[in-house]
Amino acid sequence: GYSIGIRLIDDFLARSDVKKCRSYSETADMIAQVAFKMYLGVTPSVSCRSAAGNEFSLILDKNPLVDFVEELPAERASLWYCNLLCGVIRGALEMVHLAAEVTFLQDRLKGDAMTEIGITFLRKPEDRKHKRN
Amino acid sequence: VPGSVVCCSSQNYPLYIRSVPTENELKFHYTVHTSLDVVDEKISAMGKALVDQRELYLGLLYPTEDYKGYGYVTNSKVKFVMVVDSSNTALRDNEIRSMFRKLHNSYTDIMCNPFYNPGDRIHSRAFDNMVNSMMMQVN
Repeated sequence: GYSIGIRLIDDFLARSDVKKCRSYSETADMIAQVAFKMYLGVTPSVSCRSAAGNEFSLILDKNPLVDFVEELPAERASLWYCNLLCGVIRGALEMVHLAAEVTFLQDRLKGDAMTEIGITFLRKPEDRKHKRN
Repeated sequence: VPGSVVCCSSQNYPLYIRSVPTENELKFHYTVHTSLDVVDEKISAMGKALVDQRELYLGLLYPTEDYKGYGYVTNSKVKFVMVVDSSNTALRDNEIRSMFRKLHNSYTDIMCNPFYNPGDRIHSRAFDNMVNSMMMQVN
């Protein structure tokens, strides 16, 4: 997914003509409402998971990638089927100089109540440079 | 509601068998087997003819005094056989055709599942639910 993400971001920016996001919250909203809509046709809901404002959750109601997958077979019970999406988000963010950790927190395919992707923004490299001065 | 639905692979081994009620299962299986023979006959008779949607439906294959068998074959030679009670005269050709179309659509959904290997037995809740609702509708 990472290789897709680092290239997808250019396509996204070319097609969507959006302005620079001024906060992590705006970035998360952008991912959910514009990018997901553009590429998968669904709009996950965004919620902030931490007081510091750098951890977010995307909750997917509908996931077109699993339309035909009823359930994971027994020997693949630990598979995060859509982990590709996490790599895409991580790669795309990295190309705009936002380091983030993206993982699946819950997956309906594994029996959880909902499908949730967690995005944790790590400190921007620019901030670190700023602090040193 | 007595009836049976069978899905067979291109090599004629069963991918899905469902019979209701289960006491008469042997009789249903017998009718299904003979129906499959008729299906094979019809397929080889079609030969090089262009196969369009209409010819996927093979129609009434094998009427016995108790049961009627209907057949349907896909372009990939996957066969569906449906056996219904002869006493059920209310069932019209259109209805049988639409039931086969539903079966075919559900089958393609199963093929779209990346964890399904073609040739495996079909273990799908969606497929079961669809067949259940069809069996009830036949009443």
